[in-house]
Amino acid sequence: MRLVEPFLELMTGMMTTLKMLVTEKPVTVQYPEEKKAVKPRYRGRHYLTRYENGLEKCIGCALCAAACPADAIFVEASENTDEKRFSPGDRYASTYEINMLRCIYCGFCEDACPTEAIVLGDNYELSFTDRRQAVYTKEMLILPVPQGGAPTPQVTEPGKFTRSVPEMKDPVD
Amino acid sequence: MAKLINLTINGVAVTVPDGTLVVDAAKKAGIDIPVFCYHPKMEPVGMCRQCLVEIGRPAIDRATGQPALNDDGTPKLQFMPKLETACTNPVSEGMVVLTATEKAKAGQKELLELLLTSHPLDCPICDKGGECPLQNLTVEYGSSQSRFIFDEKQRADKHVHLGELINLDRERCIQCARCIRFQRDVAGDPVLGFYQRGRLTDIVTYSDPGFDSVFSGNTTDICPVGALTTADFRFGARSWELKQSASLCAQCPVGCNVTFNTRREAKSGGVMAIKRVMPRQNEQVNETWICDKGRFAGYHYTEAESRLGLDAASMESALSQAADKLAAAKSDAVFLAGGRLSNEDFYNLKQLAAKLGAKAYLYSPMAGGEYTTAYGLGAGSNLGDLGKDDTVLVVASDLYNEAPVWHLRLKAAAKRGATLIVAAGRATKLDEFASFVVRYAYGDEVETVKGLAGKEKIGDAIKNAANLVVFYGSDGLGLAGTSALAAACADLLNGKTGKVNNGLVGVWNAPNTQGAYELGLAPAADLKSELKGKTVYVIAADPAGDDPALADALKSAKAVIAQDILATATTQMAAVVLPAAAYTEREGTYTTAERRVQRFYLAVPAKAGTRADFAIFAELGKKLGVELEGRSALLVMNKIAAEEKAFAGISYARLAEVTAQWPIVGRGDLYYGGTGYENKLGLGVHLALALTPAPSTSGRGGQMRPKENELVAVPVSKIYDLGVTMAPAKLLGQRIGAAAVGLNPVTAAKLNVENGGKVQVQVNGVTAEAIARFDESISTGVVLIYRSFGIPISEPTSVKIVVAEKA
Amino acid sequence: MSLVEKYPEEVKAIFAKYPADKKRSAVMPLLYLAQREEGYVKKESMQEIAAMLDLDTTEVASIVGFYTLYHDEKAGKYRMQVCNDLPCALRGADKFLESLCGNLGIKVGETTPDGLVTLEAVMCLAACDKAPMFQLQDGDKVEYYENMTVDRTMELVEALKKGGKEIK
Repeated sequence: MRLVEPFLELMTGMMTTLKMLVTEKPVTVQYPEEKKAVKPRYRGRHYLTRYENGLEKCIGCALCAAACPADAIFVEASENTDEKRFSPGDRYASTYEINMLRCIYCGFCEDACPTEAIVLGDNYELSFTDRRQAVYTKEMLILPVPQGGAPTPQVTEPGKFTRSVPEMKDPVD
Repeated sequence: MAKLINLTINGVAVTVPDGTLVVDAAKKAGIDIPVFCYHPKMEPVGMCRQCLVEIGRPAIDRATGQPALNDDGTPKLQFMPKLETACTNPVSEGMVVLTATEKAKAGQKELLELLLTSHPLDCPICDKGGECPLQNLTVEYGSSQSRFIFDEKQRADKHVHLGELINLDRERCIQCARCIRFQRDVAGDPVLGFYQRGRLTDIVTYSDPGFDSVFSGNTTDICPVGALTTADFRFGARSWELKQSASLCAQCPVGCNVTFNTRREAKSGGVMAIKRVMPRQNEQVNETWICDKGRFAGYHYTEAESRLGLDAASMESALSQAADKLAAAKSDAVFLAGGRLSNEDFYNLKQLAAKLGAKAYLYSPMAGGEYTTAYGLGAGSNLGDLGKDDTVLVVASDLYNEAPVWHLRLKAAAKRGATLIVAAGRATKLDEFASFVVRYAYGDEVETVKGLAGKEKIGDAIKNAANLVVFYGSDGLGLAGTSALAAACADLLNGKTGKVNNGLVGVWNAPNTQGAYELGLAPAADLKSELKGKTVYVIAADPAGDDPALADALKSAKAVIAQDILATATTQMAAVVLPAAAYTEREGTYTTAERRVQRFYLAVPAKAGTRADFAIFAELGKKLGVELEGRSALLVMNKIAAEEKAFAGISYARLAEVTAQWPIVGRGDLYYGGTGYENKLGLGVHLALALTPAPSTSGRGGQMRPKENELVAVPVSKIYDLGVTMAPAKLLGQRIGAAAVGLNPVTAAKLNVENGGKVQVQVNGVTAEAIARFDESISTGVVLIYRSFGIPISEPTSVKIVVAEKA
Repeated sequence: MSLVEKYPEEVKAIFAKYPADKKRSAVMPLLYLAQREEGYVKKESMQEIAAMLDLDTTEVASIVGFYTLYHDEKAGKYRMQVCNDLPCALRGADKFLESLCGNLGIKVGETTPDGLVTLEAVMCLAACDKAPMFQLQDGDKVEYYENMTVDRTMELVEALKKGGKEIK
């Protein structure tokens, strides 16, 4: 009795294991060879977006920096001219930095952005060997120029971009 | 004392002087009423209608003329059927004001909705965003929804340059006219105006250059929206990112209290950098204003490329070399210090010189400090208190150019009823507001002042004045002339010495010239001969750059040690250069010409390889066997207070004290007083009067006056010049202009010189080119030469003018 | 040529009307004088008037801007100033102005190619109940046209063209 009962219990448990071994597929993913898809609203590393013509959406308003609870964003703005235009309005971000070590990926910056310039993507592969590497500059964050667009700074014709901020619509989700 | 009035605001009983406006009475009681067009420093106009409140007044029974009573015996109140503006209604006895009733709230809310029908949504990029009255009031009083259609907003010009300093965004303007009224009523420069009517109303300037006023920056502080912004700060930072550092303006002897807004900046290598200069309220010094020189030139020289700096080892060897040279020279050393140094620096310098037995001189184009220390303003004086029965005399100074904030304050004093007497050799902007204008020929300054008391009306105004303040300057005068003029002016003040709101004020050219005099320094009568063969230690001055003759004198010196923040002609010829920290990078105190000691605080970290001047002196002292305090400015001030009678009782703690000021500005309610800062770090303390017997004021005079067929050049000052602290301000570059000489048309005609024509000026052994400008108000035979424009001039001297050959 | 040189008698007469310490009151008649010849006030004239009256040029310009009867730009022989302030707009002034532009072939602020009529949109002319309305200016003569239609306005323009219409 004393010997059989534990053995039976063990067998019952092992049976479940054996059953699962046969019927269930393994959940382990062979990262990094194999990557798991993220959920649609996953919040990963940020990127700065552009309009179709290549102009940057960011207007350097620093509202993302103001909204950031971790003080991870640093923005410095400068003025656009028709000879050297980065964004459609008066102002663009001449310096834009995010410290990925400070960032908590809350997405407040995305919420605060009036022009939908900063977007949290699905890239979670952030690793650094140096603290300085964790500071992502504007060049690292900005998306490449889309097909048909021109790189910034652009030379634009006078009188075309006269507004302080580009026309904005309520965001749709 | 005005009659006191009792009223009730939102159930709070308030007692205020008769004539107070409801909006101010509420402010005093701690109740905020939203305003846009009203500003406590200006007359109300009731244009914006934002301050709508319910006002009830005790009803009068028409039959009896007595106050009507309710059945229970309380006074019956009569409310107007509609809301009233709190800014245009003065208080009256028994008034009941309701600011937060449903009716009042609805009025305020709808007004905001109407204002926003034509206001763009620029807040994310607007320089005013975050400190914007319209933004704040919309959040506080407004609705989050508008019944108007966004797409039908009015479009207007967004980039209007009212001159190169101030930008106008017509879309953002809410037509409150604060800027126009400030320029007209406070500054006395009506260069802004409305144009058109109704929704086409526009702000325009027709002056040349655009918005030609030295007070233009203040309009951006009081603009309740982002319509007026400065070009200097354009997109510099968001307001919430800025830190505040209390400081002083070091461009003139007024000592305006300012706040440096700083932030960490990538452009400056990741360190703190000053982004803008804002006024800091001190009702006894600058009220809530500063001039454009302070705002746009203010600190820029401290970040110029020519800043000096040495690594630790070089600094150490430079200090050793300097100490060796001074030790070798002993009493053959001469110290020459400019008025940019702080009181602490002057004190340590004086101790060091005394130990060596060397002479220490102040480098200043103007003398007479022995009189301003003895006859200076009494403790507790405030130009803002001058009014009816008081007299202000301004002699030989163009305050608009030399000390703009005094111009503004004296204009206000004249408006309050003070008798303002302006005596000058030429027309100045202050003439317009003066009760009496005395015009003399250059050279007659002293005689003119001596003769004033004998004149009928002017003499009475001076003799019978309840309070008398005399400003004297260096318009057309050098050291000898200003010294004699100071004596003559001091003579008028005999018997009033030490009294509140009485005294002599020198319109110096540096922020701390008065402090130097209070600590016993004075300029040398004949500087050139003093330097010959000596070891000269020049601090915060550029004699070589100012005058080739002084450069020669320095060349004939045994050795030159130069200590400055910027590379100058003097540092270039010096054997040893000691780099000093700018005043924005350290603590210290300045003494204003009104004899008020004020503190400035550290705003940004010291530039690498520099040290505060007083610390350099202490370091040299250590090497020369003199014990000087070099650890902190506070400790130096403690020593000054213990040893210098005038500074007795002054400590850094006392200098940081603040008493309540009116109007209340700079708190959460930016809509009331503008975006200038509240003073939280000290109003400063007046010096006690020097107890030494006052110097004699008699028996001096004798000036240079042009004889027949002779030309005499006299030095005068212009606000924007090419001086060391001014030239690095790039934005003001266009307003500096070329070197010019002023001539009477009659004089010019004899020389065949045309107005605006190019001339060659031969003066003090230098030939320079300049533009001739006609001025009918100056005497014939006199040529005005502006200081710090590359033409050396320090004393009235003979000059030759020839028409420049046309290329 | 300055005003004083051009109209010495008139300037004298205007100044004689006002006490010396209130000479700034002379600004309005002087401005009329300044625009007599060319139909508008030049900047130099504003500067001259400002200097004569101890005003700032901006203050003088503000007066020019405020009144619809002063102008600072050259225009056609007649100025047709349509009020499109709020009450007028509610009575169709905006549409009236738009269609008038179409008929005349010009935009607001422009002059017809023959230099006859300049069309302007102005603020309140105090005839809100009779909109659409405009005032027609010919030099310093002004006439109000109220309850107007585009057809009647075009008839008026034709009459002006022929010279068969005189403004009182």
